[in-house]
Amino acid sequence: MRNVPTLLRREMNACFASVLGYVVLVFLLVVMGFVFCSSIADLLASGTTQITVMRRFFYWFWLPSLFVIPAITMRLLAEEKRSGTIEMLMTAPVTDFEVVLAKWLGAVVLYGLMWGLTGLYVLILRKFTGGLTSLDFGPIASGYLGVLLIGQFLIAVGVLTSSLTKNQVVAFLISFALVFLFVIGIWFGEYFARGTTFGKLFEYISCFTHMEEFARGIVDVRTVVLYLSASFWVLFVTTRVVESRKWR
Amino acid sequence: MQPMIKVENLTKRYAGVTALNGVSFEVGRGEIVGFLGPNGAGKSTTMKILTGFIPASAGQVTVAGCDVFEESLEVRRHIGYMPENNPLYVDMRVNEYLKFRAKLKGVARADRKERVQEAMERTGIADVQDRVIGQLSKGYRQRVGLADALLHEPDLLILDEPTIGLDPVQIRQVRELIKELGKQHTILLSTHILPEVEMTCNRVIIIHRGKILASDTPENLRKTLRSGGMVNVELRAPLADVQSVLPVVPGVASVTVTTGDDGMVYAAVEAKADADPREAIYQAAVQGGWTLRELTRSRTTLEDIFVQVTREEDEAEEDRRDQRRSVLR
Repeated sequence: MRNVPTLLRREMNACFASVLGYVVLVFLLVVMGFVFCSSIADLLASGTTQITVMRRFFYWFWLPSLFVIPAITMRLLAEEKRSGTIEMLMTAPVTDFEVVLAKWLGAVVLYGLMWGLTGLYVLILRKFTGGLTSLDFGPIASGYLGVLLIGQFLIAVGVLTSSLTKNQVVAFLISFALVFLFVIGIWFGEYFARGTTFGKLFEYISCFTHMEEFARGIVDVRTVVLYLSASFWVLFVTTRVVESRKWR
Repeated sequence: MQPMIKVENLTKRYAGVTALNGVSFEVGRGEIVGFLGPNGAGKSTTMKILTGFIPASAGQVTVAGCDVFEESLEVRRHIGYMPENNPLYVDMRVNEYLKFRAKLKGVARADRKERVQEAMERTGIADVQDRVIGQLSKGYRQRVGLADALLHEPDLLILDEPTIGLDPVQIRQVRELIKELGKQHTILLSTHILPEVEMTCNRVIIIHRGKILASDTPENLRKTLRSGGMVNVELRAPLADVQSVLPVVPGVASVTVTTGDDGMVYAAVEAKADADPREAIYQAAVQGGWTLRELTRSRTTLEDIFVQVTREEDEAEEDRRDQRRSVLR
């Protein structure tokens, strides 16, 4: 693990050296800004405090993620393979797992920084709702934790798809499809199989269920363990894929 | 002293294709060895196996006494590798990239700055160190690749086609650099450009279709394979006389005679091994009363050897195929 910080730093530099990183950031801020505005408008119109602004804000976290996660992960391994730099990387004294881990970590940090900027919205909310509703920072913090936790798993999936191809567009489309299935597919299953055992199963693994809990300020250790172990497993598979050059 | 590289019975099969077939060779410390072969001969595959990027299907490969598969990380510390086409992170600055690579290769923090500076100076890229790699010319990029290979002061440099895609001036510079580096490092370089090997290497390994066909110094290869070379003769003489006299001149193996429009007779004489028939040809001309306009000897170039060796191998392969076919019939 000695080389992870070095590799991570290189990843972060690469993110900010490309235009793509900034485009994705703007995209995220625009989409979540729109969600935020509509929540405020709703709040002002109905005057209720039952669904608070931030809960609704977190509910929509999946919408930008659907595009943001494939966009920030598609490059990671596909580009190294296309340009041949993977050969430079893998013939330096580093292990394959170190490389995969650094790629994933770099994207997670980037994703976290991007969402961190939406913290400005919280400050705006605090300024304008001072009298109307007092903000509870606990659920907001746990909401962000949820965004990061679910995000890091989907990023691991993105790293995996990036390891499967040399083509970034292909990597984007595959991980988009997988993230779509994970979010919308499971939601669909939950909706149509409601009341059955399957419906229950879908409800347990649905990111909507989890996000709902996080946004209410509930941090369930089982959920945290589920997502972390799932990412670990996906990253393990990714390492195998990267190693597969050795037995193909 | 153990050799720097020891390869025994190395075989590599890709799905359906045998890229290397029982290759064995050694490279001693301090040698500059050229790996010569046409495209697709197995040069890059061998280098990828040596650097631990891909494993062998069969055989034993050790670098500095370490098995490349079992002790891959240790082997990588001994090797400075420049892959084919010299892939680099084009978005980084030269010094930034080299610093990153030095860290990755485990150069101690205290030495890092010095090593990066030294590598840049040796390869002559210190003046472009603040430029982005993607904006550099191909010659400079090649040197960045070389500087990277030198960073951790490896015992062994493995350079895959180090001069490909460069202009003649850059090629000369890179060759000079390689020669210079050969004073301190063992070097294995691959190329399909023959003069390159003759100029830079003290040993040549000819590889073709995944097999080693020859391994010797350029001089010895010349001696053993076809030492006499060709003698070009231009005469003003009757064609029939030349055709009858020249083949029996001592030291002559074979003669091809042609006539030109200008009434001259041109003879391409192939000399026997270890023979120089020029004086004998002169004597024959004097006796026959011929006017001799040219009598020159062309030394066998590595190119001739290469063509000869690979052609022999291809013909042998064809024979084997024919035999198999006739057996089937």
